[in-house]
Amino acid sequence: MKFSYSWLLEHLKTNAQPEEIEEKLTTIGLEVENVQDTGKVYQSFIVGQVLEERKHPNADKLRLCKVDVGKEKVDVVCGAPNVEKGMKVVYAPVGSIIPVNQMKIKATKIRGVESFGMMCSEYELGISNEHDGIIHLNKNEKVGTSFAKISGLNDIVIEIGITPNRQDCLGVNGIARDLAAAGMGELIDKKVINDKGSFKSPIKIEIKDKPACSAFAGRYFRNVKNVESPDWLKNKLKSIGLRPISALVDITNFVMFDLNRPLHVYDADKINGKIIVRSAKNGESFLALDEKKYELKNGMCAITDEAKVLGLGGIMGGESTGCGLDTENIFLESALFDEVNTAKTGRNLSILSDARYRFERGIDPNSTLKGIDLATQLILEICGGECSEVEIAGNIKKNLNEISTSCYYLSKRLGFEVNEKEVIEILNSLGIETSKKENSIKCKIPSWRHDIHGEADISEEIIRIKGYENIPTKNIRSKNKINQNILNRSQKNIIKARRFIASIGYDELVTFSFTDAKKCDAFGDINKLRIVNPISEDLNILRPNLLPNLLNAIKKNKTRNFESFSIFEIGSQYKSTSPEDQLNIACGIKSGEKYTKSWKKEQNDFDIYDVKEDLISLIDFLMPSNKKISVSKDCPSWYHPGRSGTILINKSIKAGYFGELHPRIANSFKIKSKVNIFELYLDEIPNLEKKTTNKPPLKLSDFQVVTRDFAFIIDKKISSEEVVNAASKVDKEIIRNVEIFDLFEDESIGQNKKSIAIKVILQSNEKTLDESDISKISSSIIQSVETSTSGTVRS
Amino acid sequence: MIDFNKLEAEIAEARDKFINIESINEFKIKYLGKKGIISLEMKELANLSGNERKKQAEKLNKIKDTILKTIDTKTEEFNNIELDKKLNSETLDITLSTSNSSGTIHPISQVIEEVIAIFGELDFFVAEGPEVETDYNNFTALNTNENHPARQMHDTFYVETITDGMPNVLRTHTSPVQIRSMLKQKPPIRLIAPGKTFRCDNDQTHSPMFHQVEGLVIDQESNMSHLKGCLEVFLKTFFETDKLNMRFRPSHFPFTEPSAEVDIGYTKKGSQLIIGEGEDWLEILGCGMVHPNVLENVNINSNDYQGYAFGMGIERLAMLKYGISDLRTFFDSDLRWNKHYGFSPLNIPSLIGDLS
Repeated sequence: MKFSYSWLLEHLKTNAQPEEIEEKLTTIGLEVENVQDTGKVYQSFIVGQVLEERKHPNADKLRLCKVDVGKEKVDVVCGAPNVEKGMKVVYAPVGSIIPVNQMKIKATKIRGVESFGMMCSEYELGISNEHDGIIHLNKNEKVGTSFAKISGLNDIVIEIGITPNRQDCLGVNGIARDLAAAGMGELIDKKVINDKGSFKSPIKIEIKDKPACSAFAGRYFRNVKNVESPDWLKNKLKSIGLRPISALVDITNFVMFDLNRPLHVYDADKINGKIIVRSAKNGESFLALDEKKYELKNGMCAITDEAKVLGLGGIMGGESTGCGLDTENIFLESALFDEVNTAKTGRNLSILSDARYRFERGIDPNSTLKGIDLATQLILEICGGECSEVEIAGNIKKNLNEISTSCYYLSKRLGFEVNEKEVIEILNSLGIETSKKENSIKCKIPSWRHDIHGEADISEEIIRIKGYENIPTKNIRSKNKINQNILNRSQKNIIKARRFIASIGYDELVTFSFTDAKKCDAFGDINKLRIVNPISEDLNILRPNLLPNLLNAIKKNKTRNFESFSIFEIGSQYKSTSPEDQLNIACGIKSGEKYTKSWKKEQNDFDIYDVKEDLISLIDFLMPSNKKISVSKDCPSWYHPGRSGTILINKSIKAGYFGELHPRIANSFKIKSKVNIFELYLDEIPNLEKKTTNKPPLKLSDFQVVTRDFAFIIDKKISSEEVVNAASKVDKEIIRNVEIFDLFEDESIGQNKKSIAIKVILQSNEKTLDESDISKISSSIIQSVETSTSGTVRS
Repeated sequence: MIDFNKLEAEIAEARDKFINIESINEFKIKYLGKKGIISLEMKELANLSGNERKKQAEKLNKIKDTILKTIDTKTEEFNNIELDKKLNSETLDITLSTSNSSGTIHPISQVIEEVIAIFGELDFFVAEGPEVETDYNNFTALNTNENHPARQMHDTFYVETITDGMPNVLRTHTSPVQIRSMLKQKPPIRLIAPGKTFRCDNDQTHSPMFHQVEGLVIDQESNMSHLKGCLEVFLKTFFETDKLNMRFRPSHFPFTEPSAEVDIGYTKKGSQLIIGEGEDWLEILGCGMVHPNVLENVNINSNDYQGYAFGMGIERLAMLKYGISDLRTFFDSDLRWNKHYGFSPLNIPSLIGDLS
């Protein structure tokens, strides 16, 4: 909400300086968002007159002008299509700063011709969006006078943010009232003539939709002359960024911003019969004042006559009964429209208007007739004519809210002992009438406040006016601890996983929870949960997994000269929109160069064993004991079918996957290097609360350690894990470790065969193993491996 | 009979003439080898009578010790010389290096953990809720009915599924976690809820996804002054400053009454923001006393219980504390940015160690 300081002073008698007012506005909840001292902004702009005007020798669209600016005559090159000889213009001399872009005007050569200063459009001056031509001032303006002075811009314009609850401050009068309550002066009770009218209105009003329109008041004016508004009115509107149109329209706008009372004027000669307020019918349409045609629906509040729709109640009037300069007879409307209905209709048709903004927040019913009085006074004054008696349909309800509160309640909520006298003073200053009954204070809420429903709201009024700075600061540490744990097990797992993954070289990314449905096509059968109103088409679904966004990151960073990627994200992916289907995933990618070629190392690329190792050490870190990790083959469709694995915990829990990204998907992201990924379902990590902090006892043997190597030739499709398992199970006590130290595939050992060499570490807890013990175990190992893999030992 | 005096003189003389390990070995053989002077004399001892033998043996052993000590000392001397010579030739170019970069923690994760560390110390626990919410939890239960003007200001994302006749939404704030938590747990309640939030807005200062942290305290006495105390402790600890100008001013959120916005003071030194002191104000968070209607919506009697709630933007906290100037860069995945603004994984926020 914008208003000028001089406008405020018409409602507030005060000795306070503008700076004090600005500060006070913020402390009472009317946050000052912008202050513009227009006198300063426009101080260098003056009235000029175009004396001569001819074509630029080097440019078709430019004109060379000689402009009289009072003290001198200057040459200005101008590109405006409307420049003409004799025209009075707003001239910005060299050195002035153009408000809209803060550009400083310099003497310059334009296409070889010198130009001193500039002639401005309304857009350039920040007055409106009009930039089709330069401002054409009234021919009576005197050359050399200050533009700020003749346009009423010699003022301070304050813009405040109005929170949705403070509908009462959408008019200058309401702002003044709040400032007066906060000790910034006295509210001026402006005297408005109450003209009874000299004849009965020939246009009657009927309300058929009472829920949508509880009251509709109006009056007929005859023989008015709609003219250009007088300067004081035009300047007022201009100062708050409104464009003067004609006196009748300007008057309604003025009353709206002055009293927070939306009004509407109809060209009465275009109304057929009486005005009927009713619910619109499906299929009806009307052309609104914004020159757009709207299709109406049942339930919308239509203002109609006996033939057509005239307007949408509380939102916008129609083109068919709009007032022009030739309008002679008018009908003035001041009505009460329902908040919810107005909001719904406005939202439905996407119409934003100052009237809708106010009606959907709630209008003071008492303003209905006050608005008519003020508008009548101004219409008769500016446009002449005669007014009828006021017609009223419906009921201007005034049932006021009553709330009981107490100093006990207020103190308990605000955190300090409130003073009863002060409380009552504050309430009264806000127009809340109070009466005392024992310890309770009965409050009668004024008609303009729609946001005070209960005691809590009263507490806000008290502290708002008293000042939030008066709330003391108290320690919140309580004697009794409320919470046993700050984080639960799974929250801890997420934090631990994040730290661990970063510690082994991955950079953490945070990407959007949305992704591109098209990009997910290559992933095969995967959920695509559409967002109804996406911000853009490439962010139109909730991500079914973390990969598409991470792959995009790789693609983008390749162009930034990165050759090696170790990135990860921990976040949610969505199986459905129900809460339990929002899964916590850790997804890591290693791609490109593991070692860049250096003086020390050959270049080497990441492969799936890098991510497998990372995934298993991550699970080890999150679950240090009581688990068995195994690998199986069935991976989702986005993995390379032959180069991927599923990680199982304790054989049954599918904890995650590792492997190479399916080359088809890599291709669709235009990534040429191998992409090695792991995904860990963090919610699947069993939430084992530790039973004890003790670790299992450590048994150390001091007997000699013996190492034996074996090599087997087995089928290619037999996994090395089977060899290790077969060897390990021979003697769980003496065989301490089995490790693969060589893998060899070659035609020489047979087609589809491979050689696997294992190193077995033997140690007993009871004795030093002698040759016969060792050879017994060795032959058992050979037998076990040969039996379970159908392989043969290599001698 | 051997002349011991002569022998000692001989040994002393030889000792100064060693030129290398080989000469020491020759010396060792000459005296202690199988046919060495001392060894032969030792053999002779058998021919001597008891007393004579004891005396002679003592003398021989003494001289043998001297010889051995001489050998040891001289051998070490020569070994050291050899080693020094070898080391002098064994030089590496110490200006060469191999690189090994650790990964990084994203600033959002780091700041969330900082916030948890501080509020954990104040006896808050971390609550969570889903990112796809029901319209009821995101708005209605929070005293924001269908036609409340505040809803228009939220720019809500909708998904295709429906709960109780209303399309589900991507939560526009972390406040629905208040509702879920209060339905689960009776007061006293002290929680924070960090997480992702979404609004259909995308420009220089808005991102369709961002992060908030919600706070909620419900018991029988918590009031505006505790709210002020709580936020003061938090902000001072977070920004790691003892001096913090703080300003509470009235605002409006449908789910709190009274509501406040909190500003903190700052000054600008060049391009750097100094948080805490100064004439200028930065809006940092919104808060207020929980609206009685919200308590009633979760079956908590608002005559018996009251409390406060607050909410703030994680990105904003991160930007102010770590001097990050553009909101949208958080989600750009530009590795240059991540490596520059990211944190070491070993830099775990804690009030015992370092917060940042």
